[in-house]
Amino acid sequence: MRELRLGLVETATLCLVAAMVIGAAFFGSRLVLYNLTIIALFATVVISLNLLLGLAGQASFAQTAFMAIGGYGLAILSKTFQVNPWLAIAVAVLVSLVLALLIGRVLLRLRGHYLSMGTLALALGTFSFVNASTITNGGWGISGVPPLLIGSFSFRDPVAFLILAWALCGASLLVYRLLGTSHVGRAWRALSTRQDVSATLGIDVPRYKLIALMIASVMATLAGALYVSFTRFVGPDLYDIAQVINLMFMLFVGGLRSTVGPIVGAAFVILVPQFGAGLERYQNLVFFLLLLLVILLRPTGLFGRTRGTRARKNVLPPWTLRFRGGAR
Amino acid sequence: MPSSEAYTRRGTEAPLLRVENLSIQYGGVLALQPISFDTREHSLTLVLGPNGAGKSSLLRALAGTIPLRSGRILLAGQDVTTVPAYRRVRRGIALVPEGRGRLPTLSVRDNLILGWNSAPSALREPQDAAIAEMFQLFPVLRERLNQDCNTLSGGEMQMLAIARGLLAKPRVLLLDEPSLGLAPLAIARVYGALGTLNADGLAMIIVEQKVVPLPHVPLTTLVLHNGRVRFHEARYPSDDELARLYLGEGAES
Repeated sequence: MRELRLGLVETATLCLVAAMVIGAAFFGSRLVLYNLTIIALFATVVISLNLLLGLAGQASFAQTAFMAIGGYGLAILSKTFQVNPWLAIAVAVLVSLVLALLIGRVLLRLRGHYLSMGTLALALGTFSFVNASTITNGGWGISGVPPLLIGSFSFRDPVAFLILAWALCGASLLVYRLLGTSHVGRAWRALSTRQDVSATLGIDVPRYKLIALMIASVMATLAGALYVSFTRFVGPDLYDIAQVINLMFMLFVGGLRSTVGPIVGAAFVILVPQFGAGLERYQNLVFFLLLLLVILLRPTGLFGRTRGTRARKNVLPPWTLRFRGGAR
Repeated sequence: MPSSEAYTRRGTEAPLLRVENLSIQYGGVLALQPISFDTREHSLTLVLGPNGAGKSSLLRALAGTIPLRSGRILLAGQDVTTVPAYRRVRRGIALVPEGRGRLPTLSVRDNLILGWNSAPSALREPQDAAIAEMFQLFPVLRERLNQDCNTLSGGEMQMLAIARGLLAKPRVLLLDEPSLGLAPLAIARVYGALGTLNADGLAMIIVEQKVVPLPHVPLTTLVLHNGRVRFHEARYPSDDELARLYLGEGAES
């Protein structure tokens, strides 16, 4: 466990998050429970993105496609075909793995902007498909998704679901951390910048990229399925282009390659617009201004490693100097 | 220091590395005309030539990171032409790439472990012992062990790249312009280490653009110009010869 230790700030943040979740489980209002659950599920998807983009350097926009497989897989199988929801989720995960295997070899051969465009096309295609298909009930979506059960115990209980969601998030974080500090993570980081050099160091580049895509697809599918199980509804709007952008915001606000970054980024993007609810139509404007401020002041995200980034000095006008002190 | 036996694993009649009619094409451009040469055990092969001569392409083709247009590569009599790069290193061809192959976000230790991990498992020493051996050759790496390799100077990174290549326990080490962009003192240090390694029996193919402070060892020199072999002899060319070869008017060898 030599490299598993986190930095002081990240450890403290993780403890704070854990304390908040435990506190909310006992004293939280409906709204707090709802928000914390949603944050955990989105954070899981962002962790998968962090693994794919942060560690393996593959700028993929296809995570919403895997979320859709999880969400629609659960809804269609459990509602329309009355399959046990747990089994439905397992089937969805299998479908995602097969899809990752099929598209991975082709898509991951693309690099840089081409990979982004290819995966973006997949995300847009997914949205169009679920919006038009009859099996997904088109634009109306599917509501009344049956709850997850263990014997007679139902996860309809919001506290139980909160714990389930954070268990998934915690497990994903652990997988990210364990793999990131292992030989696999080393290979990913190497190939993220120099595929040719990595190959001469004995790394089977296409295989390691595929492993990253498959692990990330499982995380996104599970989070997508739990999201639908939680809200009991699945519709195309969950997987539109805005969602793709939201996930990227969450990742970059939190900090690429940071361990707790995805949780903080997800919380930021989910909670900040709610605080601006009284501003009516200026709500989005305020949110994006704040987002811009974060990106300007901390180009590597709130928890990003600032090491080696001098861009900020050249981006901002001199009068902002006094605000920069706090930004390490 | 690795003993000489480490590099002579199988006594074979065939040359360690045989290149037969190897040519390389990028798009419609022939980067390297068909080239043939042998590299023996313990030997040193120097490939000289100006920019765009095809030297780096030759090394990349030997390491397997670019495809050949024609020809074969034989390692100790075995055809490795179709062996992918990531497996070729386990067969014993390691590359120290042009520009030193910096891998940002990886620490010096990570780099060394990657090199160690690419060695064939039968030859792999315990990780700490193998890495400690590299500290004897390049003591500066010990001080930098936990730093991001992005923070290393050019000379330090070159040493790291060589150490990374050596940890793969190669039978032949390919070095692409190890002196590029280094201060004279760093060049001397790097070539001092390379001389020691060659004296210990490691076969090397070194690509350079300019004359380097090579120790006086028997070697084969190839001079490339515009993708053609202009000079191929078991000696170092004289300054006059080099000047003529670089200007491209040398007689066909």
